[in-house]
Amino acid sequence: MNKDTAVCPEYAARLSSAGDLIRKASNEIQRKNLEKKNLVWLELTGCSGNIISMLNGANPDLKYLITQMVNMKYSNSLMAAEGEAAMEQLMNIGMEDYILAVEGAVSTKENGIYNIIGRWKGEPLTALKAVKLLGEKAAHVIALGACATHGGVSAAMPNPADCVGVQAVLDKKVIKLPGCPCHPDWFTGTLAHILLYGEPELDQKDRPLLFYSTLIHDRCPRRAFFDKGIFATKLGENTCMFKLGCRGPVTRVDCPIRKWNDYVNWPIQDDTPCIGCAQFGFPDRMEPFISYNTTREG
Amino acid sequence: MLKSERSICQKMKHAIDDAEKRIQLLYTSPCIYSRYILLHDIRSCMQELRLLCNAFADQDMQAMGPGENDRTFIQGNRIDLTEEELSKYTGKGGKPAYVAINGTIYDVTGNAAWAAASHFGLTAGKDLSKEFASCHAGQQILNKLTAVGKLIG
Repeated sequence: MNKDTAVCPEYAARLSSAGDLIRKASNEIQRKNLEKKNLVWLELTGCSGNIISMLNGANPDLKYLITQMVNMKYSNSLMAAEGEAAMEQLMNIGMEDYILAVEGAVSTKENGIYNIIGRWKGEPLTALKAVKLLGEKAAHVIALGACATHGGVSAAMPNPADCVGVQAVLDKKVIKLPGCPCHPDWFTGTLAHILLYGEPELDQKDRPLLFYSTLIHDRCPRRAFFDKGIFATKLGENTCMFKLGCRGPVTRVDCPIRKWNDYVNWPIQDDTPCIGCAQFGFPDRMEPFISYNTTREG
Repeated sequence: MLKSERSICQKMKHAIDDAEKRIQLLYTSPCIYSRYILLHDIRSCMQELRLLCNAFADQDMQAMGPGENDRTFIQGNRIDLTEEELSKYTGKGGKPAYVAINGTIYDVTGNAAWAAASHFGLTAGKDLSKEFASCHAGQQILNKLTAVGKLIG
């Protein structure tokens, strides 16, 4: 085998996992063996970074996803309808079968009044009420991003709006795709798996093993530097960033294989330590993100 | 030979067998990443062996009974510290990173999960018994860490 073209079979298989599932789901839908499902996308307390991340999806892009694979019933960022007409679309979904995707945390202080997502019949609809109402009836609930999965940045100290993750307000299984933001493949692959085979295999924290099975540290291309004790002392050095506070050893996700922005690059390849954005407890429990005055060599 | 010494010997044999098995696998593994994992496992076996050696040293010391020297630098490289002394081992400014769990002090300086001497918001130089119990109860973690001494005082 030519050294330049040799690819680890595990890497090749994992890199194409989301794309393979989506192609298969799409083919089955075209052959009428599989029905498109309704998708409702709620944006709660957060920065809307996950819908932006989805817009950056490449395999497939978001347009393909929402036209060929699902019926996108509601997304306040993408839909044409607005105001009461948009809320009408959201509230009418209750009669149908649907998958609920949620980004952003749930603000619980004073019964959720700090996050109003719209007005329904003249009354304000809180994020708390919306997620409870829609979550209970959904066939599957997928929480995307740090805020929806465990509170994330919205719940960081001092957490003024008492934000929590979606699971804290729902009594049913919530599939969790942590990350700040969630990678487009993690969501589209999970969605395609649900369409084809139902819920994917999950770990103890309800993350799909398809994407969250290995530590960043265990698949890090700079792992050999760690094993040999060769550490970067400042940003920009292309060795192991353990001494700078890299959170790769405690973060379980496939960034080293999948990379970001159309599979081009990722933080460690760009000489920046992993800040553990896909780990529960981010950001508070992953800080400090960078440290200089640290431990002895070796 | 004491019963506890026999048990330590048994564990040492297991650790050596584990390491040998992984060394054999290293020769047959074509994938560089699998080899990294195997190397990591072998390192864990070595850490366990080191811990077991320390346990032997502990037993010798117990046989001797408490004495004047039963404080610091006992048995060559063993370091016993008070909580105040431990607080200096924060992993900052070139100092090693030590944490105490259930009376034993462990070195986490080179532990991957303790990057820059911090771990899920916790910092080194402290007794973290309660925090450990709340997150890692029942997990095989301590036997992979290097024990450096006892927390005293």
